[in-house]
Amino acid sequence: MLFAVLARKAYARNLQYRGSHLLNTIASSLFGFVYVSIWIGVGDNRTLGEYGVDGMVSYVAFNQACLWLTVFLTNGLGLETAVRSGQVSLDLMRPVHLFYVLMSREWGQLLYQLLYKVVPIYLLYVLALGIRMPERPVTWLWTILALALASYLSICIQYLIGVCALWTTESRWLVWVNIALSQLLSGFLIPLEWLPGWLQTVSRATFYPFLQYMPTRIYLEMEGPNVLAGTIGWCLVMTVLCLGITRLVRRKVEVQGG
Amino acid sequence: MTMLRLYLLLFRASVRSRMQYKLNFLLSSGLAAFINLMEFLLIAIILQRFGDIKGWSLYEIGYLYSVLLLSRAIYRILASDVHHIEKYLVGGELDQLLTRPIPVLLALMTQNVTILLGEVIQGTVLLVLCFQGLLAAGQIGWLAIPQTALVILAGSVILFAIGLLSATAGFWLTRVRDLQNITEDAARNAAQYPLVLYPGWLRMILLTLVPVGFANYVPALYILRGEYGPWLLLVSTAAAVLLLWVSFRFWRLGLSRYQSAGS
Repeated sequence: MLFAVLARKAYARNLQYRGSHLLNTIASSLFGFVYVSIWIGVGDNRTLGEYGVDGMVSYVAFNQACLWLTVFLTNGLGLETAVRSGQVSLDLMRPVHLFYVLMSREWGQLLYQLLYKVVPIYLLYVLALGIRMPERPVTWLWTILALALASYLSICIQYLIGVCALWTTESRWLVWVNIALSQLLSGFLIPLEWLPGWLQTVSRATFYPFLQYMPTRIYLEMEGPNVLAGTIGWCLVMTVLCLGITRLVRRKVEVQGG
Repeated sequence: MTMLRLYLLLFRASVRSRMQYKLNFLLSSGLAAFINLMEFLLIAIILQRFGDIKGWSLYEIGYLYSVLLLSRAIYRILASDVHHIEKYLVGGELDQLLTRPIPVLLALMTQNVTILLGEVIQGTVLLVLCFQGLLAAGQIGWLAIPQTALVILAGSVILFAIGLLSATAGFWLTRVRDLQNITEDAARNAAQYPLVLYPGWLRMILLTLVPVGFANYVPALYILRGEYGPWLLLVSTAAAVLLLWVSFRFWRLGLSRYQSAGS
């Protein structure tokens, strides 16, 4: 099966760099630790609403661990590099849909990141910070589902970013814009309800809350599985967009490299 | 003196070649400012809502943040590709630099010079705003301005030294990007906020192993809060000089151990 082969290859390629990725994982957990410290500082003489200091520590730490599933994917699914080198023209000639190929590969990448980044960072936070764990076993199921859907959503976002490389040489910047917007709008550091009103409105109009805020709220048992309907809705919309834009791409391709 | 003239010449040439891509320059400057702004906005939102973090106000944290941002911008503008040494080590491009009749470090510093306009503008605006707020509240006097200029300069030397030390580790490790991720990115991210937030071990690391705390937090204790005494400024300047010396020595040692890895 094509999907399994592509995913497995992407996974195996990463295994080569396990050592240097370990340092990267340490850096990432340090970033999260700084954010946790900020909230501990804020909660020094305050209660921090429905979360409490404990809850906020868990909220921020869990968000940080999830980043490698929901935000830090392969930039533009590697499309920008493919356009640079001209590889994309071959990719488009294949008898398989471009989106399907790239998506399959990215799932392998994400599986690697799950096992070598997300889980270690999460376990480290459980041990070092004693972050909350779900009380009901079924919460695990909903959390995993929420994260899987968020990953798919993120794959779609990266695909749309990557496709822009076919029309502009500056598409790389969209990757950074996406990261910046997601920091602000996904509730990654601040729960949405604490954002200023106008920003909340903006945030709730986008898919960003479904990447971080909702999965984390589900994990903390502050939200039921019904919010997954929103994630599924966005996944459908984005899938249609991805397929539609691929049609456009197939009409005319200009490559930069040779 | 010849070295300085040579440096300026190469620096100008590099800037000129980069400026051929004007759109790219403007776009990257604008977006860098936007991304940095988002990051600070998050902290500003938290502080707006909760007032202060362990007694540190928005202006004070903005000061720590912008001083470090400016120091980093100076370091990255003046020593551009020191941070990107991995590319040279992996691709074997360092061999080319070795054949040039100038010091390798000088060549590396003047490759692909990028004027980080976005960071400079954002850092300056934020610093001016914080100054206004702090002056209006009478927390600092006008003397703080020249003092801060000194701190920013010393800070850029400290960040450069840490960057050079990390880059030099590349002579042994080759793949050094992930190490830089810890010593440059993660450490700087931590030092953007008052060190008092962190547990003892992390504070210790940021003042010894990766002494980025001397670039903003230590001098700010005196400038903003009058704690300890003016000798704190001397301490951070001395730390900068010492680190610079150590990093140069280490660089020389590393370079003498260099084995080409390219094909």
